[in-house]
Amino acid sequence: MIKLQNISKSFKNEKALDNLSLSVNSGEIYGLLGANGAGKSTTLNLLLGFLDSDSGSIEITNSKDQQAIARDKIGYIPENVNLYPYLSGIENLDYFCKISGLSFNSQKLKDLLNECGLEDGSHNKKTSEYSKGMRQKVGIAIALAKNANIYLLDEPASGLDPMASNELSVILKKLSSQGATILMASHDLFRVRETCDKIGILKQGCLIKEMLSKDVTSNELEEVYLNFMQS
Amino acid sequence: MKEIIINEWVGYFINKLFVFLGVFFIFFLSLVTFLGIIQNDKIQNEQKLAHEHIRAQWDGMEASNPHSAAHYGTYAFKPISVLNSIDEGISSVTGNVLRLEGHRQNDIVFSEASQSLIISKFGKLNPSLIFQFIIPLLLIFFSFNTYISERQTGRLKLMLVQGASLRKIIFSKVLSIWFIGLLLLLLTLFIQIIFNSDNINSDVIIRLSVLFLSYAFYYFILINITILLSVIFKSSTAALSLTVLTWVFWTIFFPTIMGNTTEKLSPLPTRIEFKEAMSEDRSKGIDGHNPRGERRDALEKATLERYNVDKLEDLPINFSGIVMQEDEEYGNMVWDKHFGNLYIQLEKQKNNYQLSGFINPFAALQNLSMGSAGSDMYHHLDFLNKSESYRRVFIKTLNDEYAFGGSKTGERGWKASNEFFRSVKDFNYELPTFLSFYTKYLIDIIILLFWVFFTSILVYFFTRKITV
Repeated sequence: MIKLQNISKSFKNEKALDNLSLSVNSGEIYGLLGANGAGKSTTLNLLLGFLDSDSGSIEITNSKDQQAIARDKIGYIPENVNLYPYLSGIENLDYFCKISGLSFNSQKLKDLLNECGLEDGSHNKKTSEYSKGMRQKVGIAIALAKNANIYLLDEPASGLDPMASNELSVILKKLSSQGATILMASHDLFRVRETCDKIGILKQGCLIKEMLSKDVTSNELEEVYLNFMQS
Repeated sequence: MKEIIINEWVGYFINKLFVFLGVFFIFFLSLVTFLGIIQNDKIQNEQKLAHEHIRAQWDGMEASNPHSAAHYGTYAFKPISVLNSIDEGISSVTGNVLRLEGHRQNDIVFSEASQSLIISKFGKLNPSLIFQFIIPLLLIFFSFNTYISERQTGRLKLMLVQGASLRKIIFSKVLSIWFIGLLLLLLTLFIQIIFNSDNINSDVIIRLSVLFLSYAFYYFILINITILLSVIFKSSTAALSLTVLTWVFWTIFFPTIMGNTTEKLSPLPTRIEFKEAMSEDRSKGIDGHNPRGERRDALEKATLERYNVDKLEDLPINFSGIVMQEDEEYGNMVWDKHFGNLYIQLEKQKNNYQLSGFINPFAALQNLSMGSAGSDMYHHLDFLNKSESYRRVFIKTLNDEYAFGGSKTGERGWKASNEFFRSVKDFNYELPTFLSFYTKYLIDIIILLFWVFFTSILVYFFTRKITV
């Protein structure tokens, strides 16, 4: 579970987050929508422990020590999963696992990549030859390897072709069905509507609207989003 | 940490530029080291031949007057240290042959710089030049972007989320680049040991170890600073510019500024002033070729009393030899006074320069590099001191032979036999062991350790927490 309560964060005199409160339950996928500079990445960085909030509290799986939790339970998938291009997918996975203190045999590593939808034939190719979607799958496999139960995704669908984007949705839904808590920051209204259970709209650091995906169609979501952005 | 270091190295070896530069450096360094060894051997052989030739001339000397032989004199050869091929320090400007003769202490001659315009202008290409100027630049170029690129690509976040601490990542990167420097150092030492196997003894091993550790510490300091600047400024351009600026300041400006400052703090007399002062003091003494004056009279009186005779002609010995030795000893006193002061000033300059290492670790590195190679001022002064000690024994042996070898006062044509000249011991200088000199370099070692510790503390402090 992720719970942010009354979080405020400023950079110099610029307010990035203003009294933000939101919660994501276990098994839930939360889509955080917002324009550039709305505070989506700041929210993720606070959860990852890369930033300290000015006020408010953050709870992750009932713990207030977000950094300690980040090491164990959080999987982070950035917009661009930049792996080491001279290593193959499986070598990258092995490397990042070892950094976490985990050592798996090659079969287990292959299983993890397969689980994330990366085909067998790609495992030993250099990641310099990978598409963005393939690199994201390795990114998810890295998180999966450490048995993460919280996933933070920053613009995961950006730049993905529809097929890869859909595959990502499938993987995330599968993870959530296994009990993972997923917070996904995105611009992609359609993908968020398709993937997430709950959607929040951020504007200038404030959560201005929250809704359940099942309550809105994609068109309605777009209309709501544009209305809030223009208001 | 091990995984990060291995991964960095895999990255280096996949990088074609790195491989090209690596091969080029290894080839270049091996070549320079090898050529240095050959040149060292050549100088050693030439010196050996010259030494043998001079000694053969001495041994072949016909029966002659010993004092004439003192004027004929001999030469002291400063042997080239085995590690001179790595760092020739001040050897190329100080020279390596000293003429030893009666009545006067000469300057050392036959420096390489005096015989080569290129050497006098640019110095010689040897491993120390590469170690001190080129490898550090290479390490800076490898270091400045290593952290920034991880940060810019987002891999840093990924690594941190995986549980690696920023501190661990940074130190791993420092170590992985440091190992490149160590590898190049080891290669040079390996070549030295292989091609100098006949000359390797425990002292050379100690000297090589000190040399290796000095450069190893310096590289660690430089890499620490480069990566630290990239962490602080979060910009590869800023990190590169500032580190190169620091490097230029350390290696070019600061040594010149400190050199001038130490000269101002402990000034040396000019050559003319020095010679005039020596000459003035010397003129107050008795002169064997012009035996008049108070000192001579006092010496004559004392000698006549010692032998209980009234006239010089009645002495069983040659009074001229005693006069000449007395003059020699007075001359030695004058030399001790003036050169003693000069040495004190030189040591003061050297000490002040060493202390400058607290703001410029390159100074400490240079001192240790030259010191361990046996080519610095301390080793040079040791040679001058031992040569002078020999000269005194040498001249006294000749004067004593003149005085007590069988001639009488007034027998100017008296000659000592060839056997006597052959019995005069030759001068064979041996380089002092590093352990007998180590106290002179303790300050440099402390300074480098201080910098290692200081920069590590800074890295430790600035990597407490990452900001995004």
